[in-house]
Amino acid sequence: MNPVQPLLAAAPLAPAMPANVQLTLALALILFAIGLVGFLTRRNMILMFLSTELMFQAAALAFVAFGRMWMDLSGQLMVIFILTVAAAEAALALGLVVLLYRRKETLSNEAWAELKE
Amino acid sequence: MTLAVLLIVLPLAGALLCLAGTERTAKTVGLLAGLVTLGAAVMMAREFPAWGTADFWPNQEGWRLFTAFGVDFLLGTDTVGMILILLTALLIPCSMLVSFGAITQRQRGFYAQFLFMEAAVMLAFLARDVILFYIGYEFTLVPLFLIVAVWGGSERRVASIKLWVYSFVGSVVSLVGFIYLAAGNASAHGGQMTFAIDALSQYGASLPASTQWWLFLAIMGGFAVKVPFVPVHSWLPLAHGEAPTAGSVVLAGIVIKIGQYGALRFAFPMAPEGGLALAPFFSALALVGILGMSLVCWVQNDVKRLVAYSSVAHMGLALLAMFAFNVVGMEGAILYMVNHGLSTAGMFMCIGIMYERYHTKDMEVVGGLMQRMPVWSVFMVFFAMASLALPGLNGFVSEFLCLMGVYTADHGVKTGFPGILGPTYAFLAALALILGALYVLRMLQRFVFGPLREPHDAQHPPGGEAHGAHGHHAVAHDLNLREVAAMAPLAIACIVIGIWPKPLLDTIEPAAAKVVAPYVELIQRAPTAEKPSDGLALNAGSPLPASPAAAGEAAQ
Amino acid sequence: MHAALLPLIALATGDGAHAADGHGAAHAAAAYADVGTLQFAKATVDTSYGWLKWMLLAPLASVALCGAFAMLKVRGRLPALFTVASFAVAAVLAVTVYRQWGPTLFSTHAPLAVPLMDWLTFRWGDGPFQSFTANFGLYLDGISILWILFVTVLATLIALYASEYMESDVKAGYARFFFAVSLFVTSMLILVMSDNLVGLYLGWEGVGLCSYMLIGYYASQPGAVAASKKAFVMNRVGDLGLALAIFLIWTNYGTVQYDGLFQAIASSGAGTVQGSWSKAAIPFLLLLAVCGKSAQGPLFTWLPDAMWGPTPVSALIHAATMVTAGIYLLARMAPFYTVQAIGSEWAEPALLTVGWIGCATAFIGATIACGQFDYKRVFAYSTISSLGYMVMGLGVGTAFGGVYYVFTHAWFKALLFLTAGAVMHGMAGQVDFRRLGGLLRVPGFRITMLCMLLGCLWLATAPFSAAALSKDIILYQALTSDVEQVRWMGWLGLLTAGITAYYAFRVWFRLALGPVRIEPGPDQHHGHDDHDHGAAGHGHGGHDHGSHGAHAAHSGGHGHDAHGFHPHPPGLRINFVLVVLAVGSILAGLPTYLEKSEGFNWIQRFVQNSSAWIRATGGPEHGQILGRDGHGTLFVLATGVVVAGIALAWVLHAGNRALGDRLRDSMLKTPGLKWLARGSEHGWYVDAVYNALLGVPLWLGAQVLAFLDRFVLDGVVFAAVGRLPGFLARVFQPLYVGTVQAYALTMAGGIALIFAWVVWIWLSGGAS
Repeated sequence: MNPVQPLLAAAPLAPAMPANVQLTLALALILFAIGLVGFLTRRNMILMFLSTELMFQAAALAFVAFGRMWMDLSGQLMVIFILTVAAAEAALALGLVVLLYRRKETLSNEAWAELKE
Repeated sequence: MTLAVLLIVLPLAGALLCLAGTERTAKTVGLLAGLVTLGAAVMMAREFPAWGTADFWPNQEGWRLFTAFGVDFLLGTDTVGMILILLTALLIPCSMLVSFGAITQRQRGFYAQFLFMEAAVMLAFLARDVILFYIGYEFTLVPLFLIVAVWGGSERRVASIKLWVYSFVGSVVSLVGFIYLAAGNASAHGGQMTFAIDALSQYGASLPASTQWWLFLAIMGGFAVKVPFVPVHSWLPLAHGEAPTAGSVVLAGIVIKIGQYGALRFAFPMAPEGGLALAPFFSALALVGILGMSLVCWVQNDVKRLVAYSSVAHMGLALLAMFAFNVVGMEGAILYMVNHGLSTAGMFMCIGIMYERYHTKDMEVVGGLMQRMPVWSVFMVFFAMASLALPGLNGFVSEFLCLMGVYTADHGVKTGFPGILGPTYAFLAALALILGALYVLRMLQRFVFGPLREPHDAQHPPGGEAHGAHGHHAVAHDLNLREVAAMAPLAIACIVIGIWPKPLLDTIEPAAAKVVAPYVELIQRAPTAEKPSDGLALNAGSPLPASPAAAGEAAQ
Repeated sequence: MHAALLPLIALATGDGAHAADGHGAAHAAAAYADVGTLQFAKATVDTSYGWLKWMLLAPLASVALCGAFAMLKVRGRLPALFTVASFAVAAVLAVTVYRQWGPTLFSTHAPLAVPLMDWLTFRWGDGPFQSFTANFGLYLDGISILWILFVTVLATLIALYASEYMESDVKAGYARFFFAVSLFVTSMLILVMSDNLVGLYLGWEGVGLCSYMLIGYYASQPGAVAASKKAFVMNRVGDLGLALAIFLIWTNYGTVQYDGLFQAIASSGAGTVQGSWSKAAIPFLLLLAVCGKSAQGPLFTWLPDAMWGPTPVSALIHAATMVTAGIYLLARMAPFYTVQAIGSEWAEPALLTVGWIGCATAFIGATIACGQFDYKRVFAYSTISSLGYMVMGLGVGTAFGGVYYVFTHAWFKALLFLTAGAVMHGMAGQVDFRRLGGLLRVPGFRITMLCMLLGCLWLATAPFSAAALSKDIILYQALTSDVEQVRWMGWLGLLTAGITAYYAFRVWFRLALGPVRIEPGPDQHHGHDDHDHGAAGHGHGGHDHGSHGAHAAHSGGHGHDAHGFHPHPPGLRINFVLVVLAVGSILAGLPTYLEKSEGFNWIQRFVQNSSAWIRATGGPEHGQILGRDGHGTLFVLATGVVVAGIALAWVLHAGNRALGDRLRDSMLKTPGLKWLARGSEHGWYVDAVYNALLGVPLWLGAQVLAFLDRFVLDGVVFAAVGRLPGFLARVFQPLYVGTVQAYALTMAGGIALIFAWVVWIWLSGGAS
């Protein structure tokens, strides 16, 4: 008896996906990709931070899309949650960036590689 | 419920207050928080309606933390847990009190760690949900790790890492067992996931024997690291050797008891057939621990390592008694948790106080301290005698019960104790009486008695702690009032339990019977379990009713 | 008093030791191990005797007070006062309970049972074997009453003696000393008064602890500490036997309370116990316990080393009371040494083993005593020898003889030790009798030496002495036995009596007679008078050689200045106690002479009304030894060997000391005889043999285990396992270059891989 089986079985089957949802998801994917590429290519910490925000919003968009698809408010609820967290995180992260800048007078993240063994 | 939550919240709040305060206030705040928690524990003990039963209290529905995975925030404990909660609440303030002099740096963190630890331990003892227990159980590691790693001795890095890795690997192994049980239980009950101890125990006992074998091995194997069992014990001597005094006290007095508590609460009820099948294996390991580690104790010169090894030996006896599968042995094993906690904690306090004065734990270097510190010597001898199981002190009661449980484990017909151990095991385990005398008395001979030997000042570590201020010719002083206050409660508890153990025994019994009951039933069902020995053959003519009253009583 | 008119010879040889059996006359001349029907009177529970708890609480209060004094470092003589007073209270209570319960006991045979408090008691079912009870309760039958009588009275006297003897320690361990002595008396009383075996075990270990504390009283002396450890460990070996015996008794009879236990034995019947190892093992395990506590057989070597303790302790604990606990246990558990309890297969071997252990110990102890020069050690070995006699008494089948000898021995051996202590006290701790002499003529020592003479006479079992009256009962029982082996024990015992007479007077002649000679011992400041007497025994301390330094460490501190030395004669308290003990020793023989009740003398009635009643006789009335009348022959033989022994001692140590010294020298020079002198001097090297056979191998084994544990198990096995993740980590380490982007890329790559995997499964139709 596979103990994981019931978990899978409990998941409801997906309904047919309407076209506008697909479009929204595509937009979310594009946003996420932009964010990811930005994060991977930039060395400026503020820009990297902005890229992560983009990825966040992509995820939020996907939530809204799925929420619309299921006609379930949880998706929008989660978006508001994400926005709140993002705001808090922005405040913290920017503060950190300022602190780090004060330490080394640069915004490049290459200045910080001390976890490397 | 309120009190149960308070037991967790109070130390947490105390820890935060410690951290928020200054270096100077930390010890006071820490001690006060510990005492307030002790007060709460005592109040809960007074309100506790389940004394003398096998029931849990408080027993109402809790909240669900995660709906998806069925983890309940359900608190409640039975007699055994309550006794251990009291022990914890007593030991924490005592251990803080005894470190006032020794800890002079990072005091805020130090006292906060102890309170964090207390909260985690309380959570473990109060949890009625496996995952909740696991959180508390695992979380004890964090403060313990920090205590050893930050305030420990010269080899503290190795010690703390080893402590972490061993314990962590052990508990992950247990976790695998728990998750397997929970998942299987969910599939058997229409996908309803739960980690409730009772539900899992019921489900576990219904599994086929071969599954239970693995299950028991996983769960017990994990706890065996914490107990600790030979051969996964080697983290303990090192951790004890390097931990600061209070760390050793808490480690020996409380943390390793969670291992035995886990065996009692989880491994034994969740896989009885596995326990029965693996009993010879674990009993043999326990015996190796008892005899081998007692011998190893004999040749140790580092006294903290000595006491650590003796803990392995003592806990081996407690676990051996659990595998006797009878009420007497189980009661003895449960009581052993308390008694070993008290006497070993007391010994570590004595050793720590000496270390504070001489900065060595080597019995070749320091000795004859009776002439320098007579009151200290009294406590040292006292706790040593308690750990030697001298009748009239607490250790005797539990050791006697354990040995008797093991001894009578094959006299099923008369006593209702069908077990797989018996006189041979008891005889081998009882040899520890002699070996125990050898190593404990050797320690006393070196440290307490004999001509006075004190180390030269050169042996003080550079930047020595508080002693630099006293100058180089400061003579070690005897115990001060604070130190006496830290140890006296333990000593009094040792005497009281030694002379008047009846309330404790009475109240433990139903809980012990409950753990034993499935095993008694199992053994009596199997026709081969009863091997006739000549001592029994005589009495076989008049067998008593096969089902002992305890089993029936506890099944309810 | 009319009994005094009876022929003295018959009295002296233990006539009247035998009588009609009170419970059933069927086996007046009982077979050796088969005693006929076992029957025990049920105890009478009488809670109105609750005041007896004060017998325990009074010394316990003294424990608390002395302990408080010691902890608070209060200097003063009050601890002695508390102790003596509390012992006196206990003694008065003991006499009271004897007077109140004695008549009932002697007429109904019913012991008195007084429950006090619950201790270990639990039930897990309703069946007979489904509960366990061991509570604090008192059980007073004949032997317990006899024991509490002499323990409390002697303890009071010896505590009084110690109050003067330990005076020089008022500023040091005075309170600690009396703390331990009080705790000892408490434990001893628990031992003999408890109504169950676990309570006895409590007292048993308690007296062991006190013995440990008091042997190691001079804690700055490594030898004393090693000796105390040795005593504790060897006693633990015995305790192991007792613990296992208790388990066996419980699993066989379902109770460890004497009353129920004896009823269970009586009702178990002879037929059902054949071939049961679990019953047959009980008497042997009990004997192991006896060997530990009473320094018998293989475990005797702790007692001589125990002489490191202060002399009053040696007198009280290591001569008069604690070491007789083994005899008490044997007498209490006498029913186990019968066919009726354990079956015919093992009963006789068990009893014979007891006899042989006792007999051999008596003989070996006596032979070693002949080779000692430390008079305190001579008395120590004589104690071992005497205890051997008592054990032999029980082994040959007369608990009466054994218990009677316990009683008389308690008096005269306490007296001997206390006189030895008085000499040491006066001579600055000089324990070598070659360095002393003519003390009878030293002013102030006359009472001491006369008392010692009395003690030596009694030790030598001079005719008509109390000791002879009791010892001859044992010999008579042995020599008139039907069992050949038992008769051999008797002959060996007779020989031992001669040796005993020799070594006892060897000491006294050397010390008391001859030219005055005083070489003070090492303790000129009268500080720690007992420190150095372990001279002959140092180095016997077992596996660790910590005790070797005793002498060296000590001689540095004190100059041996013989010229300015003035002996310090004993004071009023010491002399008073000595005289009282001397009178006690003489009177201890009275029970034989005084009137008998129903054919039993006073001591015999105690035994008769106890669990040992089956052994209450002292041999057949008209027994034959060597084909002649038993009593007369034994008297002639016993007197003969004693006189011969004393005469030999006179020749070698008083009349012609030069001859004695020459004899020893020539023995040492003769290769064939050298081992005799040296062996006797060194206790036949038993300690060295133990050390070589047990101590050293065990120690090495432990070292090997410790090494394996620390460096192989932990250092190699687990270290190797622990390194494994490290090696794996090295493989992937190049991925981690330290920049955030690199980590993010790794992560993204990982996600992409997972994504690709999911897609692949989807494409291949796996997730249908």
